[in-house]
Amino acid sequence: MSEAPTAVDTAVDLGGIRLRNPVLTASGTFGYGTEFAPFLDLRRIGGFVAKSLTLEPRHGNPPPRIAETPSGMLNAISLENVGVDAFIREKLPAIPEGVTVVASVFETEIDRYAEVCKRLSGVSGIAGIEINASCPHVKSGGIEFGQRADVLGPLVRATRRATDLPLLVKLSPNVTDIGEMARVCEAEGASGISLINAVQALEVDVEARRPVLSNTLGGLSGPAIRPIALRMVWQAARAVELPICGIGGIAGPEDAVKFLLCGATAVQVGTSNYLNPAIAGEVADGVAAYAARHGYARVADLVGALEGLGG
Amino acid sequence: MTDRSNPPIRAEAEIVAIGDEGGANRRLSLRVTGWPGFDPGQFVMLSPGPSTAVPRSDPLLPRPMAVYRASARGGAADVEILFKVTGRGTALLGAARLGERVRVVGPLGRGFPQPEPGERAVIVAGGTGVASVYELAARLAPAIGVRVLLGARTRDDLLGRDDFASLDVALEIATDDGSEGAHGVVTDLLAAALDGDGEARIYACGPTAMMRRAAVIAAERRRPCIASLENPMACGFGVCLGCAVPLRKGGFALVCRDGPMFDAATLAWEGLS
Repeated sequence: MSEAPTAVDTAVDLGGIRLRNPVLTASGTFGYGTEFAPFLDLRRIGGFVAKSLTLEPRHGNPPPRIAETPSGMLNAISLENVGVDAFIREKLPAIPEGVTVVASVFETEIDRYAEVCKRLSGVSGIAGIEINASCPHVKSGGIEFGQRADVLGPLVRATRRATDLPLLVKLSPNVTDIGEMARVCEAEGASGISLINAVQALEVDVEARRPVLSNTLGGLSGPAIRPIALRMVWQAARAVELPICGIGGIAGPEDAVKFLLCGATAVQVGTSNYLNPAIAGEVADGVAAYAARHGYARVADLVGALEGLGG
Repeated sequence: MTDRSNPPIRAEAEIVAIGDEGGANRRLSLRVTGWPGFDPGQFVMLSPGPSTAVPRSDPLLPRPMAVYRASARGGAADVEILFKVTGRGTALLGAARLGERVRVVGPLGRGFPQPEPGERAVIVAGGTGVASVYELAARLAPAIGVRVLLGARTRDDLLGRDDFASLDVALEIATDDGSEGAHGVVTDLLAAALDGDGEARIYACGPTAMMRRAAVIAAERRRPCIASLENPMACGFGVCLGCAVPLRKGGFALVCRDGPMFDAATLAWEGLS
């Protein structure tokens, strides 16, 4: 656990969210932050994205909710959270000063997304909002908001109008053309995009001849999805000027650097927080050490520095 | 045995003893520096396989393991884990060698609640559930009457018999095939024990069917029953939300954060796998 070399400037600007370093933690893998207090000083990382919030508190799916798969895991928790009002009243005040908090918003209708964004606006201690666009949209027959440009566009427009906070849109990987979705976010005024969310997947209990998860389908996360995530971040970075927050299977500093090289301004560590609750701090320190080792004065200079592209 | 008296740590531990407990059962003793102590019933998350320069990604998740017992060794402690080799993660732990290092996070969860004044303890455990209750028996035995009922499929699968026999407890054993102790299931012993003891508090840990039966037997006799659940989980400290169990009043509790002990009467047993 070496200290970050002071010679390297680690600060980055993620669409108006100023981060002391480019390493955040991903929504749904970091609770409301305080759960990590025994293991990690949250001021050591760029910030964290809290568990997605809905208007009302919600219970999740019945068990089984998770399944281990090769180099990854499936989860189908589904919306379980304390609700936006309890988050503001109880969870936010428990977070130490100096910690950058991004609130995540998850709903089933556009007007409800916008209402959650309104309630988070003007609340002290929230640096930005991340819209989780991977929720099924009831009025569009259950398709994810992030899966169709004509459904995603109105969502970004409405939430952009609902808040002055920096607005990130977390994109689904379950699409044919990620560049198209990124361009929709840019056109509708998003401050940045986060990708990828979990990859829709299925695991089967062969003895019982049943799906392992009670929900049948789940989201695959962990190192298994990292090459897919890198590809999609690279494609999105070529499609838009928006800053990108790269997510997908980061398990160490080198993984985070790969996302920066592919065009991400910052990254989020997700599933690896479960294995090692201090991993995000180790990744933050390791990215700075990488920059120092390779002669970069600023971590931001690594963004998009991938060379030798062929194909 | 109060809540949260031992703040969890993250540590690399050295394997200092390995035991073959018969069948697929193994015992590991892990030397953990800075171990804060534990309450009976708490658990650790143990990463399968030794730590190396490159983080292991397959199998990905750590395994929850009850702390069997721990003994101080200067500034460290030797933490004992009993487990059964059932899959890839436990196979790696079972194949580990002396001197190898594993990653530990813990102690986690809440310990067993204390008996009320005047109560005696009846501890019923089956399979690897035995690992969760040894320390409870060891700490209660000097103060109150403790009856321990251990169950297993067969004699070779029976965990911890000699350790429990060395405690000042009334020990009874049941095996499914009758190869040791009573021929039958351990909950039959429970029913008999409770019929002779109106002041018992039941502590149960084992297969879901065993605990569910223990809960029914206790409820029929209006005795409190504490069930210690063993569920798959990814983190162990309340963030993955993978270890949810349904409650009778509706909604869910997390085994890692709200348990692993639950008043058996509060659980919706029909929703537990």
